[in-house]
Amino acid sequence: MSRLLKAFYAAAVYLFLYLPLAVLVVFSFNDSRLTLAWKGFTLSWYVKLLHNRTLLDAALNSLTVAALSACAATVAGTLAAVALSRWRFPGRKSLSAVMYVVMMSPDIVMALSLLVLFVSLGLPLGFGTLLLAHVTFCIPFVTVTVLSRLSGFDWGLMEAAMDLGASESQAFWRVILPLAAPAVAAGWLMSFTLSLDDVIISFFTTGPTYEVLPLRIYSMVRLGVKPEVNALCTVMIGLTLAAVAVSHLLLRERRRA
Amino acid sequence: MNAAPGRRGRARPAFRLTPFRLAACYGAFAWMILLVALPHLLLAAASLAARGDPGYLDFSRLSLDAYARLLSPEFATVFASSTALAGGATLICLLLGYPFAWILARAPRKWRGFLLLLTILPFWTNSLIRTYALIALLGAKGLINAALLGLGLISAPLELLYTDFAVFLGLTYTLLPFMILPLYGSIEKLDPRLAEAARDLGAGRTATFLRVSLPLTLPGVAAGCMFVFLPAMGMFYIPDVLGGARTLLLGSFIKAQFLTARDWPFGAAASVTLMLLMAVLYAFFVRSGGLGAAHGARRRAA
Amino acid sequence: MRTTLAALAAKALLLCALAVLLPALAAPEARAAKKELFLFIWSEYIPDAVLADFRKQTGIRVTATTYDSSEAMYSKLKLTGGAGYDIVVPSADYVMRMGAEGLLLRIDKARLKNLRNIDPKFLDRPFDPGNAWSVPYMWGTTALAVNSARVDPKAVQSWGDLWRPEYKGRLLLPNDMRGVLGMGLKLQGRSLNSMSEAEVKAAFEKLLPLMDAVKVFDSDSPKQAILSGEVDLAVMWNGEAKVAAEEDPKIVYVYPREGFSMWMDNLSIPKGAKNADAAYAFIDYILRPEVSARICSEMGYATPNKAAMARLDAAELANPVIYPPEDAYARGEFEGNVGQAVTFYEQYWTRLKTR
Repeated sequence: MSRLLKAFYAAAVYLFLYLPLAVLVVFSFNDSRLTLAWKGFTLSWYVKLLHNRTLLDAALNSLTVAALSACAATVAGTLAAVALSRWRFPGRKSLSAVMYVVMMSPDIVMALSLLVLFVSLGLPLGFGTLLLAHVTFCIPFVTVTVLSRLSGFDWGLMEAAMDLGASESQAFWRVILPLAAPAVAAGWLMSFTLSLDDVIISFFTTGPTYEVLPLRIYSMVRLGVKPEVNALCTVMIGLTLAAVAVSHLLLRERRRA
Repeated sequence: MNAAPGRRGRARPAFRLTPFRLAACYGAFAWMILLVALPHLLLAAASLAARGDPGYLDFSRLSLDAYARLLSPEFATVFASSTALAGGATLICLLLGYPFAWILARAPRKWRGFLLLLTILPFWTNSLIRTYALIALLGAKGLINAALLGLGLISAPLELLYTDFAVFLGLTYTLLPFMILPLYGSIEKLDPRLAEAARDLGAGRTATFLRVSLPLTLPGVAAGCMFVFLPAMGMFYIPDVLGGARTLLLGSFIKAQFLTARDWPFGAAASVTLMLLMAVLYAFFVRSGGLGAAHGARRRAA
Repeated sequence: MRTTLAALAAKALLLCALAVLLPALAAPEARAAKKELFLFIWSEYIPDAVLADFRKQTGIRVTATTYDSSEAMYSKLKLTGGAGYDIVVPSADYVMRMGAEGLLLRIDKARLKNLRNIDPKFLDRPFDPGNAWSVPYMWGTTALAVNSARVDPKAVQSWGDLWRPEYKGRLLLPNDMRGVLGMGLKLQGRSLNSMSEAEVKAAFEKLLPLMDAVKVFDSDSPKQAILSGEVDLAVMWNGEAKVAAEEDPKIVYVYPREGFSMWMDNLSIPKGAKNADAAYAFIDYILRPEVSARICSEMGYATPNKAAMARLDAAELANPVIYPPEDAYARGEFEGNVGQAVTFYEQYWTRLKTR
């Protein structure tokens, strides 16, 4: 009974999460410019998408920035969480205060303050500045998640490892990281998601040579979002689902072998 | 920040800098000071400056004028409606997300990673596009109404779009994973034997949950609430699209000061005030035992 | 635990590798072209084929990046000194502001031999006397779309009609301070570019009771609400109204008798442009009749190019949503910059939204 209830609840939440995506997928085959009513089946939006190089480039740029910034933020954020949780070092309070500022700061403030900083440092706007900005707003999400996992962590374990001859960084890799892993993974996923969807900060920190997908999509709003975007999203959903399923199966095989 | 360092084990050794500690403590620190603290100090300074035209800021005339202008009933209304919205969304996400994170964390080990990924996958689709899909579901001629009308359950379309319901639905739909993921991290490490021990000692299901499991996962709850509440305070696009934008929210208010009115001192003052108010709220939350309870319970449980 | 970690790490790495490798494989010719032009424009506001043809004819490669509001574009150019972009497409009010603030290059009209194609009624407008800073690209109007199945369009020929109690809860207004306050100003017989606080205050007081009748504020995609039947009266720009009318012919577009706002998007060259020669070549190319006709009929907006109009088909020219009749056109007013008055516009707008 209780297991059934749990399965039912989980299924309901997944339905809530995936229903709008199903709508989007269906409308990507709809023979109408508007996502309002079903007007018949077509593949024309997919054909148009194939010819829309700028849209495809923007999508690839987005994935690149999201993956790189999530990785960088995860490394920096995890280390910071360990430091905040383990040591009472000078500047500890300031570090946690600044993390808090990042999460609280309205997007437009982050965006303009970073732009002013980059301009006054003389950095050319583009991929590099965009990446710096994204890593910055992702770090606190990793740190706070890992911190919550490490709360109540028995630091004696790390010291025991060091007593047995491990260096501090070995102890970190072998003891702390495996224990914090689910939170580290969750932090990476959140960073990737945040980076992939950011609009305002990206707009002000990138330059004329590098554009990401959300900017193109938000800019389309005034003229009506093109159905190609639905097609693009469908392709991306399909690819990620397939990648996740395949890697899941592969890893299961390997474990069995 | 939300989680205090572990207090068990031996006495804390005096802090000595090693290369690893240098990287851990001061890597992110240096980054944050340069990219966040300095620009935000400038922001605080900007809130004291006067408006300049055609430039943005005139630092030759410093005053608290921008803050005085915030003391208006309009700003109070904007702040109150944003807080209500963010608070409501946080509560819904918590109530919806906690059981879900629990189920994920207690799923068979080999499935956990997969289920977790499945939870966040929808959020890799652009949020604006997902919001438009919600409109297609909720509208007067939307799929939900069409289905209910078709089944004969209702005779006239329900008013779903441009209501508070739609706003909360949209906010929940956008922010839910940021509640689920930290909760998952903290529930997953919870040792089921603790609950078993409590049951063995005669505690009921509810008591076990409220006095053992919940307190031990509070750090995750606190992290999740922060990840939902703080972004929700600044969020306006999704509530505007789904709710009809009849209430002015803090995010669009501040954005308009910077971009439309080009009144940087006023926008900066509003942002500084927002951050200070949130800091006070947070300190109050911690003091009133939100996290203190967690530590107490852990000691009791251990 | 280890296995979960390994699984997640492997998935993460896989995705990273994909994300990094794909663009590298996909764009080998990206660095090839030397002659280039950086265009800062609304998304999908110029057909890709036009950019491709321009490259074929001149060898200049155009890279287009986008913005989602004029004020965001302005703020970015202002803070970066305009560097990096060779062409921007500001609306009339921002041409006025950016020109006055020295963000734009003065247009050398001798280099634009096709400028003579533009209809004189779109040149030398108050927002840019003598076209010192800008060349018209496309134009349109912001007026009232009515669902004629539910509201008789004859009953709503004036902005004042929106105040009637029977329209309560059936109205959509733009989520935009100039759009809404401009409507109030027009209703009182004022210019929608008024810089008088008394006039704006009077408009605000007139508009205050209307706020409770509004069901939706939306400037981005108002057609959705009127097409799905959520509202019956919607103030929107004509691009939206055109799409709405194509989807549902019952939707008609009314030019209220007190006057309405007109918009014009213009081609300008930012001061910091590195490829000004290419920018002139590009503007002159867009001014060609066949190019302008192609852009406007593909995008569905009105061309200011008289020579291009001769190439459009009659049905398009006769569509009153795209090309308002002469008498309606005479009532339109281009939205200009209001300078420091923007402060009290913003204050009254905040008060309207927090009534």
